[in-house]
Amino acid sequence: MARIGVFVCHCGHNIAATVNVEEVVEFAKTLPDVVVAEHNLYSCSEEGLGAIRKSIEKSGLDRVVVAACTPRTHEPLFRKTVELAGINKYLFEFVNIREHVSWIHAKEPKSATEKAKMLVAMGVAKAALLEPQKEGESSVIPTAVVIGGGLAGLTAAASLVAQNIDTHLIEREARLGGNLADIEVVAPEFRKGKELLDEMKKELKVSPKTHLHLSSEVTEVKGFVGNFEVTIDKAGKAEKIPAGAIIVATGAKEWTPKDEYGYGTVPGVITQMDLEKRLAKGERPKRVVFIQCVGSRQPGREYCSRVCCNTSLKNALRVLDASPDATVSIMHRDIMSSGTASEHMYRRASERGVRFMRYGLDRPAKVSRTQSGTVVEVFDETLDEEIDVEADLVVLATPMVAQDDSRDVGKLLKVPLDKFGFFLEAHVKLRPVEFATDGVFVCGAARWPSSVSECISQGMAAAAKAAIPIRKGKVVIEAITAQSDPDKCAACGNCVIACPYEAIEIVESEGKRYAKVNEAQCKGCGTCVAACPNDAMQQRGFTTRQLGAMIDALVKNAMGET
Amino acid sequence: MMTDFRPTILAFCCNWCSYAGADLAGVSRLQMPPNVHVIRVMCSASVKPEYVLKALSQGVDGVLVLGCHIGDCHYMTGNHRTAKRIPLVQRILKETGIDEKRLKLDWVSAAEGEKFQKVITDFVQDVQKLGPNPLREVRF
Amino acid sequence: MARVAFDERGADHLLLMREEHGNVAPALISKGEDVGDVRLDIPYQLITILETVYSCVPKGKIAVITRRCDEKALAELTKRGYVDEERMIKIGLACSREQIAMCRCSDPVPSKVDFGEPNKPVPTDELSERLSKMSPDARLQFWVKQFRKCNKCFACTHNCPVCFCDDCVLEERTFVPEQGIPPGLSFHMIRSYHLIDKCIECGECERSCPAEIPLLTLRKMLARDMKEIHGFVPGDPKTVSPLNTTLEGEPMEEECDEC
Repeated sequence: MARIGVFVCHCGHNIAATVNVEEVVEFAKTLPDVVVAEHNLYSCSEEGLGAIRKSIEKSGLDRVVVAACTPRTHEPLFRKTVELAGINKYLFEFVNIREHVSWIHAKEPKSATEKAKMLVAMGVAKAALLEPQKEGESSVIPTAVVIGGGLAGLTAAASLVAQNIDTHLIEREARLGGNLADIEVVAPEFRKGKELLDEMKKELKVSPKTHLHLSSEVTEVKGFVGNFEVTIDKAGKAEKIPAGAIIVATGAKEWTPKDEYGYGTVPGVITQMDLEKRLAKGERPKRVVFIQCVGSRQPGREYCSRVCCNTSLKNALRVLDASPDATVSIMHRDIMSSGTASEHMYRRASERGVRFMRYGLDRPAKVSRTQSGTVVEVFDETLDEEIDVEADLVVLATPMVAQDDSRDVGKLLKVPLDKFGFFLEAHVKLRPVEFATDGVFVCGAARWPSSVSECISQGMAAAAKAAIPIRKGKVVIEAITAQSDPDKCAACGNCVIACPYEAIEIVESEGKRYAKVNEAQCKGCGTCVAACPNDAMQQRGFTTRQLGAMIDALVKNAMGET
Repeated sequence: MMTDFRPTILAFCCNWCSYAGADLAGVSRLQMPPNVHVIRVMCSASVKPEYVLKALSQGVDGVLVLGCHIGDCHYMTGNHRTAKRIPLVQRILKETGIDEKRLKLDWVSAAEGEKFQKVITDFVQDVQKLGPNPLREVRF
Repeated sequence: MARVAFDERGADHLLLMREEHGNVAPALISKGEDVGDVRLDIPYQLITILETVYSCVPKGKIAVITRRCDEKALAELTKRGYVDEERMIKIGLACSREQIAMCRCSDPVPSKVDFGEPNKPVPTDELSERLSKMSPDARLQFWVKQFRKCNKCFACTHNCPVCFCDDCVLEERTFVPEQGIPPGLSFHMIRSYHLIDKCIECGECERSCPAEIPLLTLRKMLARDMKEIHGFVPGDPKTVSPLNTTLEGEPMEEECDEC
C-alpha cells in the first residue's frame, strides 16, 4: 500500500484565481492511497519545499504528487526535494494544473476545478504504481571526433586540443578550410580568409593531441555517448576510432542556380563564389550587378541565408577598391546587414555610389544578352519604374544549402534534420550546439547558414560542450529507459525493428530467446513499448500499468464508472 | 445534437513537442474548452493503440494523440510509427461501428501554442457533435 | 504421402491430419513410421501445432501439409525467427471448393500444388459486404450482439497460427478491464490490432469459436483496410510489418511530409 502526499499549489494567483485549490485538496483526500493532502502558496519556494519535506517526515510518505505548473521547468527541483527527504526521486509525480488548466480555462472556474481534480486523480493513480529507480552510469572515452575541416570544425578541433583532449579531425577533401579556403577576404573587417585558417591550423599543428585525417569519410558510427566507434574510410582503407563525443561540422554549400536569371546561357552571369575566385585572380570588372535572394526567401526555400547581403556589400566595396570608377548595383528584396560593422559597410557602399534597387518576388529581374552586352531589366519598387542596367558581370547571390549527403550523415549519427536538410539542434535557445542525442554536437553552417564569426563562436561552444562528458569521465543515464521481461517476451522482434536507435537485440540465455535493451543506448522514447504485443516491454516511469491506471482514474472519476 | 453533453476526452502529448506546445498555449493564455485531459508521454510512438482502444471501450468520448511533426521527432523517426498505427486503429473503430472521428492524430510543435488551441477546440466540438460514446451505455 | 514426404523431399518428420480409431487429429510422424490414414480433407491450421512441437524436434527436416494459408502462416513465423526455414518442407495442398466457400477464401492455391486440384477463389465475403453497407450504429449493434456471446475461452487465440505469445495481453486487467464474461470490446479490438499485420485469414478462429462469432469476417474487413492504407498483405516471407518501420519508401510517406 502506497502512502501518497498530494500538494496542490496556488502559484500565488496563477492557479488559485481560477481553480478552487481547497476543493481539489479535499477531493485528493478521498483518493485511494492518499494519506495527506495540503496546499501551498508557492510550492517551489523555500517555504513550499520545506512544507513538503516536513509533511513527508511527519506522515511517513513514500510518494509525492505535486499539482502545480509544468513539469518541464521544475521537475528536477521537486525530485531533488523529495530525495533530500529520503524518498527515491522517481517516486514523484507532477500534475500540471496551471498551463494546462488555470491559464486556459480562466472563464470557467467550476469546470477548471473539476478538470484539476481529474488530473490529480490520474496523477495519484500513476504515483501509486511508481517504482524507485537507480540512474545508471557509463564511462567516457577521452577522445573527440570532429567531422568536417572547415572553419567551424577547425575551431572546434583547435579548442579541444587546447584543452588537451585527443581530437580526430576528419575531412573528406584533400585540403582543410572548406568554403573559406576559396574566399580571399571576409566581411566585415576585410580580413584575409587564409590568415584565419592558418591561425587555426597552426594551433592544431603544434599540438600532439591532434590527429588529422584528410581525404577521409565517415562510413559508420556505432555506440552512444562516451562510447562511440567511428569508422572512417581513407583511400579504401577502413579505420576505427573510439570516441567519447562527436562534433558535426560538415558545413554547407552554395546553391547553384539551374537557369535562373540566364545562368548558364547568358554570358557574365555567375554566382558569388565564382566572383570570389575572379576577384582573387585579380579581375577588375567595371560594371557589376548583384542580384540578392536568388533561390532563397521564396516558396520552397523560405529562409534567409544570413550571409549573402554582407558578402555582396563586401564584394561591391572590393570591386570599387579595384576600380574606383566602376558601376555597382545591388538588386535586393531587403538588405540584411545587422550589427554595427555590417551596417557600416552598407553605409559606406551607399556613400561610394553603389545603387540599391528593391525588387519584388512577384517581378524578378530579367537578364538578357543584347547587342551592347548583358542587360538586367528590373522593376525598382522604390522608384516605381522599370530600370535597365548594363553589366559585365551579373552576380547571383544564392543561399547556402545543406550538403548533398547531409541526410546520410544524419542517418549515420542518428540525428534529425529539418526540412531543408540542415541539422536540427536539441533546443534552439537552451541547447543550440547539441543534438538531442547525447554526446553529439553541431556547429557552423551544417546547422544553419552561418557567418565567419558565427562559425567560430559555435565551434568554440561545441568544443566546450563536448569537453564536458570527457572531463567528467562518466555520464548519467536518466532512468526512463525501456526493459523487457524475459519471461513474458515472445522474441517476435517488433521492438528491434521499432527502436530508432537500434538499441535492442534478441539474445538467448538458457535456451530462451528474448529482447534485451542496451540501457546506455536507450533514449527512453518508448517506441518499443507500443510495438510489443504482450506487455513484456516496459518503459520505466511510464509502464503500461501506470498509464492504464491513469485512464481508469479518468473513467472512474469523470464518468462515475469502474 | 445534445448541447449540454460535455465530452470526456483523453489526450496523449509527447514531452518535446505537443506537451510543450500545450504549455505554450497556457503561457499565452489561449482559452479552450476544459474537456481534454492530458497524459504526458516521452514520444507519441510510445502510445500503445491498446490504450486508445481501452479508453474508448470504457466510454471515453474522444482520444487525441498529438506528436511532433514528421521529420521533427525528438527521437528521429519515432513518430513515423505513430503515423502508421493510428489510421489502422481508426479503421478498427470504424469496422466495429464506433465513429473513427473519436480518435484523432495531429502534429503540434513546441512553438505551436495556437495550433494546440485550435486542435483542442475543434476536436471538442467534433466530439460534441458525435454525442456520447455509445459504449457508455453498453455494459458487458 | 509417405513417399512424397520422406523419399522424394527428404523429410525426417511429417506433420499432418490423420484418422486413428475413428478420431481425426494432427500427428507428427517420423521417417520409417506408418503414416496411417491421411485426412487431407479436414481443415485445421497445422502451423499452430507446429509451433508447439517444433521445440520437441531439435533436428531434422519437417514436412508439413500446407494449404495456401498454412504457407503464409509459416512465412510469418519464419520471419520472426520462430521456425528455421531451412528445416521446413512444404507439401502443397489445394483446397476443395467447399473449403474455399467455407473460408470465403480469396487466395486458395499454394505456390506449389502437390495434392488436390486448384480451385478458384471466392471474390467476396458476403457478411463483410453487408456490414460495410450498414450504418455505424447498426454495425455496432451487430458486433455488440456477437461479442456478448464471447465467454473468453481463448479458442481463437490458441488455434490461431500467428498468435505466438505465451502470456496473452488480453488476460491483463490493464487492457481488458472487465473481470467476468463477456469481456468488453477492448478484448476484440485489441486482438484485431495485434492481428492486423499478421492475420493470414485461415479462418481457424471462426471455426473454433464455440459461440459462432463471425471472427473471420472482421479479420477480412481489417485485412482490406491494411492493404488499402499501407499496401501490406501478411504472409510474404520477404516483407516486414509497416507498423514498426519508418515511413521511408512507403505509400504514406508523401502525405505525411505535407503536414
